[in-house]
Amino acid sequence: MDFTYTEEQEQLRSSLVSALRRNYTLAQRQDIVASKDGWSPAVWEQLTELGLTAIPFSEEVGGLDGSIVDLVAVAEIFGAHLVAEPWIPSTVLAGGVLAAFPDLPEARSLLEQIAAGEAIGALAHEEGRGTPDPALITMEAERTGEGYTLTGEKRMVLHGAAADIVLVTARLDGELALFIVDGTAPAATKFTTIDGRPAAHLRFEATSAKLIASEAEARVREALNRAIIVLAAETVGAMGALLEQTVEYAHTRQQFGSPIGAFQVIAHRMADMKLAYAKSRATLLHTTAVAEAGQPSAHDIAVLKTQVGRLGRSVGEAAIQIHGGVGMTDELPIGHLHKRILTIDALLGSAEYHARALGAPRAAKVDGSAGDERQPSTTEKELFHADI
Amino acid sequence: MDITPDSGLEEFRSEVVEFLDTAPTPEILEAGRKTTSVFAPFEQVMAWHRILHTRGWSAPDWPEEYGGPGWSVEQRYIFATEYQKRGLPPLLPNGLKMVGPLLMELGSPEQKDRYLPGILSGEDYWTQGYSEPAAGSDLASLSCSAVADGDDYILNGSKIWTTYAHHANRMFMLVRTSNEGPKQAGITFLLLDRMDYPGMEVRPIIGLDGAPEQCEVFFTDVRVPQSGRVGAENDGWAVSKQLLKHERGGGAQSPMLRHRLDVVREAAAQTPSAFGGFLADDAAFQRDLGELEAEVSSLEHFEKLAISGHPMVKDRAYPSLNKILSTELTQRISTLMTDVVGLDALPDQRDALSVGSDTEPLGDDLSLIAMPYYLNSRATTIYAGTNEVQRDLIARTQRP
Repeated sequence: MDFTYTEEQEQLRSSLVSALRRNYTLAQRQDIVASKDGWSPAVWEQLTELGLTAIPFSEEVGGLDGSIVDLVAVAEIFGAHLVAEPWIPSTVLAGGVLAAFPDLPEARSLLEQIAAGEAIGALAHEEGRGTPDPALITMEAERTGEGYTLTGEKRMVLHGAAADIVLVTARLDGELALFIVDGTAPAATKFTTIDGRPAAHLRFEATSAKLIASEAEARVREALNRAIIVLAAETVGAMGALLEQTVEYAHTRQQFGSPIGAFQVIAHRMADMKLAYAKSRATLLHTTAVAEAGQPSAHDIAVLKTQVGRLGRSVGEAAIQIHGGVGMTDELPIGHLHKRILTIDALLGSAEYHARALGAPRAAKVDGSAGDERQPSTTEKELFHADI
Repeated sequence: MDITPDSGLEEFRSEVVEFLDTAPTPEILEAGRKTTSVFAPFEQVMAWHRILHTRGWSAPDWPEEYGGPGWSVEQRYIFATEYQKRGLPPLLPNGLKMVGPLLMELGSPEQKDRYLPGILSGEDYWTQGYSEPAAGSDLASLSCSAVADGDDYILNGSKIWTTYAHHANRMFMLVRTSNEGPKQAGITFLLLDRMDYPGMEVRPIIGLDGAPEQCEVFFTDVRVPQSGRVGAENDGWAVSKQLLKHERGGGAQSPMLRHRLDVVREAAAQTPSAFGGFLADDAAFQRDLGELEAEVSSLEHFEKLAISGHPMVKDRAYPSLNKILSTELTQRISTLMTDVVGLDALPDQRDALSVGSDTEPLGDDLSLIAMPYYLNSRATTIYAGTNEVQRDLIARTQRP
């Protein structure tokens, strides 16, 4: 068992950190977020040059043949520095789903553009409350003479209104399938998420779409599980930054004649922040190692998402409290880091959802030995808990 | 990162399973079912210790040169997991995890030769004489005195929270050998090779759970040999800090906690909910259980990182982090356990709980142990330095 980053990964991390410290201060980041598009093509180009858009993909499509560990190593730093460029939507979500179909030429050519950073991808998957699991997707695809059409709504599509490549999950003959639509075709309700990223709800009205892969559920699930790990890494990175900045502040800020960090109540709360961080990071590194070795189980994924959601929130709340009034302002990273954590918690199933999944009765074992004979109360439960 | 499973491990697992399925006697299994503390019922756990020793498995964490089995990290984890799955009584930690490793590091060759074999084999049980009525987590305030007299020390004072001292044949303790300078500078670490020195008296204390697990030990002009000293005179604080590292940071708790949580999960499937159906179907219960499931998994991951030698083990805060994580989770699980058992946790079943008792228990195994386990678990955040003190220690490492 070895859960450490390689020397190469550590080098990449430190060069990324120094680049971000130089060119991506909070002030610079806030200007970028406030700009028309909400992200910076110039920064994106730098990230592309560092190979970060190509990391997880095969060399065949211009990728670097990197692993989930490489993604996690980078994502921790993106989380700590609040990088707002569309790396999660494009590289991790859209790219991740496409990379799950290495045998399809169509997917390969799209991936080449995503890996090169030339095209930005988006994945339209969520349909609103209660659809974090691919098994719960209801949007139907219809066959037409020349192809397919999609009707319905996809919600909270990260980078959804501005992507070059929009991938959509929908049911075809009852099975989950993956489609691509023309980026300008669906009607978009654009908005900015609380953590400053562009996103959209997309409405499809008999929108024509091209089928990329049918019977895609297992692979989409796999890609989403990997995305959950990467998102969790961003949260853990944000937690580390919150802890570090809070400790520093508490030993600088004077009240009642002492640094506030000298008061036991504050000291203990920061110790709790560290406990939360230690647990979350251990869980992240473990799940990442499991994913690198093969497939993480539904249990592994639910544990990770539960922990970073709950513990991340507690660390962010403690950081704001310890900073006092100044922690409430837009000027410090504290609130922005917390909002990033809240956003990630809501994506792909909240801590609440994943905790309940972990606590629900276990499905009957295949051999029936210690099986659970009682009826599951909902179909949803049955679907999700299949292998927890 | 590399956690590729080694195919040899499955062979190892079957060897472990084979032994653990057949070696424990019915009394040992009963003791496991009736364990409501870190400290399993004494007679049976020591008998089990001696059986494990004959197989060479009493000290999975010890180096081979001192009689450990020479297992890899993965093997140790497999052993712990299979051990806990069967609800076997955990071996008592004082010798194996505390004074044993300490002697390996700091004991004289004579002390190692004399004491390590008895710890390994389970012939000896060592009680820990640290705390005093006025020196708990502020351990350096201790006052039990040792005055040199020829080749001996003469001891006067008392010790408290000496677990199972009424069963012990040996004791390791801290004594005050000087009142000069800072209070930490006058402390000496001492081994007692017997518990029946003239002038020594052991008095059991009945705990919240009704069991005499803790004791008080009184010393009145007790003459003991100076050869029991570990390290130099007045250097006991440094010696004890080494030991505390083992006490707070040692071993994997998650397999035991996972076992306990699984027991709760199974019970909830059979427990009617006041709102209809079974407790296992209740959303609020599911979330509580799910959060603890996630917490146990995180502790497991944390412990695996630790035993794999991850850099975070070198963090000065590590022993305190580890102590808080495992003890607070123990308490949360014990609370959920009493919640699931409900009214059945209320009967006082001390008689039925003793191993070999003829008293028929009321209810199932879980209702027998839930309340004593909950009550006993209140101690976990107090012993080995309260969790408040641990948080102080963590905070100290965070100061710039």
